[in-house]
Amino acid sequence: MKLKVALALLLSTASVAVLAGQAEDQQTKFRQSAYSFAAWNCSKIKNQVVEHPEAYNKEQVVAAANAVAAVANSGLGALYGPGTDQSTGWKKSRLKPEFFDKQDEAKKQALAFNKEANELARVAATGDVAAIKTQFGKVGETCKSCHDSFRVKD
Amino acid sequence: MGLLKDDVMTIEINVWDLPLRLFHWLLALAVAGAIITGEIGGNLIDWHGRIGVFIAGLLAFRIVWGFLGSTHARFASFFPTPARIAAYLKGQWQRPGHNPLGALSVFALLAALSLLVGLGLFANDDIAFNGPLSSLVDKDLSDKLSGWHARIFNGLLIGLVGLHLAAIAFYARVKKKNLVVPMLTGRTVAPAGTETAMTGGGIARFAAALAIAVAVGWSASGGLLAPQPKAVPAATPASAPPGW
Repeated sequence: MKLKVALALLLSTASVAVLAGQAEDQQTKFRQSAYSFAAWNCSKIKNQVVEHPEAYNKEQVVAAANAVAAVANSGLGALYGPGTDQSTGWKKSRLKPEFFDKQDEAKKQALAFNKEANELARVAATGDVAAIKTQFGKVGETCKSCHDSFRVKD
Repeated sequence: MGLLKDDVMTIEINVWDLPLRLFHWLLALAVAGAIITGEIGGNLIDWHGRIGVFIAGLLAFRIVWGFLGSTHARFASFFPTPARIAAYLKGQWQRPGHNPLGALSVFALLAALSLLVGLGLFANDDIAFNGPLSSLVDKDLSDKLSGWHARIFNGLLIGLVGLHLAAIAFYARVKKKNLVVPMLTGRTVAPAGTETAMTGGGIARFAAALAIAVAVGWSASGGLLAPQPKAVPAATPASAPPGW
């Protein structure tokens, strides 16, 4: 009897642990997906605005910039739960553990990304290719500063 | 300690040939530019990539010039053998050109920069930049090489550049020997009798080294790869996206 209770307890504890791990892995998966999707849209903007301006298509760049802004505005912070630095989404998370000790800095960087991404969507709508290029660079700088601060190097 | 004392007869000689000096200052400018553009990122990352390709060409030039250049540019003339290093440390080194410790620094800098550029060509920044040869490796490997690109910069190159500058300052302040002016003018003062006349490195050899450097730079920029499609899928008017 005692053994059975102990076993049941052990099993339920283990499954709770597994489930908890799953929740973190799920957050990480969404997180990685969100940034991948943003990266795809950024690559389209770079292609049409920086590399091949002769192929510039306003509609497509507006769509891509809106998608990047939508990702930024989606509340990504909710996907950075405790323990997600140790989780595995599509691949092992590269979040640095100190992210959780530097929440003010993280928030500042996240808000900078949001601000520049929304500005990019606004500028994209004007169709001014030179201005889009400049603003696209500013978005990239916010990506980089967060990577530098909070992402482990491969 | 190899100092030129007043009672020693000295003579002014040519030490650094013009291509070597051009290489040196272009490399210094390019590395400074690569550091600045790499640290700022954003749209400047494209310039970081271009400068990296330029550095690949410069390094190729220097390596070839180490065999085809004039006396003090040739690797064999300053290769830091243990005997030469020992002689230098005992203060018995009087020859112009790179001294044996300086030679170690030269080889270390060339090796570190070659490694750094080599890795950078395959790197990506996970934002919107891919090194010119990154399409030759898969993303995971490119990510790893990017990590090593950053580590070797932070852990090795910065230190070597710092050491290089500190050595120049040390020579200027402590040994009272200006190393910068000879790198500009090509001329230095050596004790009479110890100097080695600078020979070799003519225009034909320079042309050959330059041709190899251009070929390496062109290859580093992806010149040998099959032409890339003009635009990523769903972004080119030529092949219209499906419309949803």
